[in-house]
Amino acid sequence: MRWLRFAQSSTAVESDTLTKAEFEAGLTPARVLRSVFREERFFLVLSVFIGVFSGLAVVCFRFAIEWSRIYLLGSGVDVPHWRLILTPALAGAVIAIITIHIFPKVRGSGVNQTKAAVYIYNGYIPFRTAIGKFITSSVAIGSGHSLGPEDPSLQIGAALASAIGRRLKLSRDRMRLLAPVGAAAGLAAAFNAPISAVLFVIEEVIGRWTAGILGSVVLSAVSSVVVTRWFLGSESLFGIPSVELRRPSELIAYCVLGIVGGLASVVFSSGIGALRPRFMRLPRWTHYLQPAIAGLLIGVIAALGAPQVMGAGYEYIDEAMHGQFTWQFLAMLAGLKIIATMLSFVSGTPGGMFAPTLFIGAMLGAAVGGAEHALLPHLQYSAGTYALVGMGVLFAGFLRAPMTSVFMVLEVSGNYTIIVPVIVANTFAYVISRSLQPTSIFDTLSRQDGLDLPSMEEQREESILRVEDAMQPSGPVLNADEELDEALRKFGDSSHLALMVRLPGHEWARLTHEQAVAMAKEGKGALTLGSLVADSAVPYVHPDQALDTVLRYVDRYPSVPVVHRADLGKLEGVISQADVLKCYRDFRED
Amino acid sequence: MFTQPNKLEFSRYLRHESVTIALLSMGAVAFFLFVTGISSAFFAQQEELAKRWSMRGVSDLNAGHFAEAIPEFRAALLYTRDDFNFRLGLAQALMGLNRTDEAYNYLVNLRTQHPENGLVNLELARIAVARNDTQHAVRFYHNAIYASWPGDEEKQERGARFELIGYLLKINAKTQAESELISLAGLVGQNAQQQARLGNFFLSIPDNEHALAAFRRSIEADAHNTSALAGAGAAAFNLQQYPLAARYLGRAVAANPGDAVSSENLRIAKFVVQMDPFQPKIRAAEKYRKVVADFSAGGTRLKSCPVAGTYAAPDDPTLDLSTEWNKLQAQVTVAGLRSNPDLVDTAMNLVFTIERQANDWCGKPAPADAALLLVARLREGS
Repeated sequence: MRWLRFAQSSTAVESDTLTKAEFEAGLTPARVLRSVFREERFFLVLSVFIGVFSGLAVVCFRFAIEWSRIYLLGSGVDVPHWRLILTPALAGAVIAIITIHIFPKVRGSGVNQTKAAVYIYNGYIPFRTAIGKFITSSVAIGSGHSLGPEDPSLQIGAALASAIGRRLKLSRDRMRLLAPVGAAAGLAAAFNAPISAVLFVIEEVIGRWTAGILGSVVLSAVSSVVVTRWFLGSESLFGIPSVELRRPSELIAYCVLGIVGGLASVVFSSGIGALRPRFMRLPRWTHYLQPAIAGLLIGVIAALGAPQVMGAGYEYIDEAMHGQFTWQFLAMLAGLKIIATMLSFVSGTPGGMFAPTLFIGAMLGAAVGGAEHALLPHLQYSAGTYALVGMGVLFAGFLRAPMTSVFMVLEVSGNYTIIVPVIVANTFAYVISRSLQPTSIFDTLSRQDGLDLPSMEEQREESILRVEDAMQPSGPVLNADEELDEALRKFGDSSHLALMVRLPGHEWARLTHEQAVAMAKEGKGALTLGSLVADSAVPYVHPDQALDTVLRYVDRYPSVPVVHRADLGKLEGVISQADVLKCYRDFRED
Repeated sequence: MFTQPNKLEFSRYLRHESVTIALLSMGAVAFFLFVTGISSAFFAQQEELAKRWSMRGVSDLNAGHFAEAIPEFRAALLYTRDDFNFRLGLAQALMGLNRTDEAYNYLVNLRTQHPENGLVNLELARIAVARNDTQHAVRFYHNAIYASWPGDEEKQERGARFELIGYLLKINAKTQAESELISLAGLVGQNAQQQARLGNFFLSIPDNEHALAAFRRSIEADAHNTSALAGAGAAAFNLQQYPLAARYLGRAVAANPGDAVSSENLRIAKFVVQMDPFQPKIRAAEKYRKVVADFSAGGTRLKSCPVAGTYAAPDDPTLDLSTEWNKLQAQVTVAGLRSNPDLVDTAMNLVFTIERQANDWCGKPAPADAALLLVARLREGS
């Protein structure tokens, strides 16, 4: 057995974790197994299973979307107009009924629902939601609603993980961690890009880098991608043409793309942010009609000559990358896709915004590149390069996931020469979007749903108070070899009531004037400080450490020395509980 | 961060972990088998759809229905996105509708994936030709020539080379075209049509010797190839091998009486044969008769173009050509020539001068006069 072999091979490493009684009782296979699969390790193994289950579920989801498309819109690309108009409208009506009566929680963003599970519901996501997302999203996307499969995949993965965790009756802490693990697996399977999925979950769902969760998220993402590739092949989502940056001056063109993308992101997110609450406030009976009307309007857009806006649109991203459209048509497609996606999303049709974001970005990127090339013919132009950078730009500007946006582009293109244009353009888009629309789309949506989830973007940009912000000057430093009388003289020359004593071995002690006087009265004036305060060493901190760190000590020690990191014998200052509290108070008042 | 689990849960994990893992494994295997089943059905359907749409695309492409072929290939590509043939078919359909920019992008990507593919390089060369991009056109044609081809590789290579030569001749790059033609000559084999095509290319450079050789090979393979017969006649005519030209042209005109150029050349060639007194191995009497006839034709030409006669003969500016001709007329008879054979050259030189002057001043000559000009050129080695 593989697991048993693993356990046996780990015996030597793990033997130090056994109790003495266990050791004396002998290492039976069962005991070895138990010692190996302690909860943390079991959690890692569980992450692999979650990845496998999520990957399989996402493969089924992809099949379901494709079957929906084939049976609802036909297998060809030339779809009759009546079918283009009626199919999304009728599908919208059916989805509305299913959503309202059977799966009410499938509306909205899967990212936010997963975040809510982590921060509010102790990792609980009803399995029913996963089933509902699977059915309604596959019908919606397959029928032509302008939505993508990634967000539902993320939620399906998270819901599967949550269901497994509940079945295993995991602790509350573990349950909270399990949802992001499943989310990463679902997203990785949908994107066929494990690094991007891991980064996105860390950037948007968990919000912080912690070693404990990172391993599990990576394992689940990788295992889900392995499963997905087993069934769907290892091809990236798009057929990426060769990409190159020939002259550094071309970066200016990408800056322009970043600016345009940033503005488009603002239009897109503010449109959704403004329309969604209005649609939600409409009478309940209209909720039955909203997805149908959205579908009808999307069908009309398609019938009028832009069928590319329907569904996830990956095949058209591929065509845009291969220069199949004029830049004017690409710009029009980007605008129409924004409208179509807004209609689909604000009407409450289940589905995600990742694919539409990529679509808009690709069209906008290729359009901007084409327009620049038309204006400046000497400029090197490759539709594929601009489309690819455009996808990253919208990802950074609209979804506000700057790191994911860069790695997503690298992962889907497999070409690292594009990294500089991507970073440059994404930075412009992110900064413009952030300054014009301070609240990210995910935070806007969660607040509209009445949830106060932690804003990952705000957390990332939150100022951290450090020890150096609160520490005070220390006064003269006493040395261990100084006599007490000499220390008393220094107290006399100083206004400080306590001074720090430098002890051998980079240790520090605190000596108050009162203690010094008392010891002098006991006749210890000729003794060295080292012999008098050796037993009363205090912990020290460094100036760059977070102020929270000091809180561990300041209730037990009146003041703590702040020492230089490179020279532990050099005192930078001292810090007390009062200093810490004053610093927090001042910070809040600011 | 993980927090320490409580002891109750911890002991439960220890008790049940192996069972849990076994159950999860079984669940994963069952799910995997289920997905394998639906995956087979899914991909079988995708394959069938791809096949169906691609067949329609190929059929429409072959029929020249490019507008219909485009959505069909696009539909096929929905099901097998990276299929080389579907992409190539789509690119060819786009080219059929002169949407060369779109086709170019597909082809460039196909070339990135399969740089050695002959058809892709050939299509790219055609786009470069349409864009008047000679440098890329020649490069892609060469890539196509030395690339790998499906099926009959030599035939495809020959086709690409023929196309390249046609393009080079069109842009008047005759030197490059000639070197390509010489390479091609070794590849054509005994195919009458291709030898004839090769000959015509040589003819247009012009490289009459290679052209004649190619036409002869073509005629050897197919004695009734009118194009080759006409080409061989033209090549022989250009090589001043008028008896040979007359033979080939005679057969060509017999086979295709509508060939006006060959008919005209045939008449001239026959006149040359008939009027050339300097042909080897003819008897003296016949030679003198020809000189007398030529001299008479020169006089006729002079009468029809009097302006030519008023100009002085280049070798003797004091005499005009009419005066000279009149002066010699009495001496240029068969008997006169027999008694003074040196008069042959004098008479013929005068005839040649008259014909040149008349040609310069009075335009297109009659076939007999044209023949005399050719005899003059033949005689003077020009």
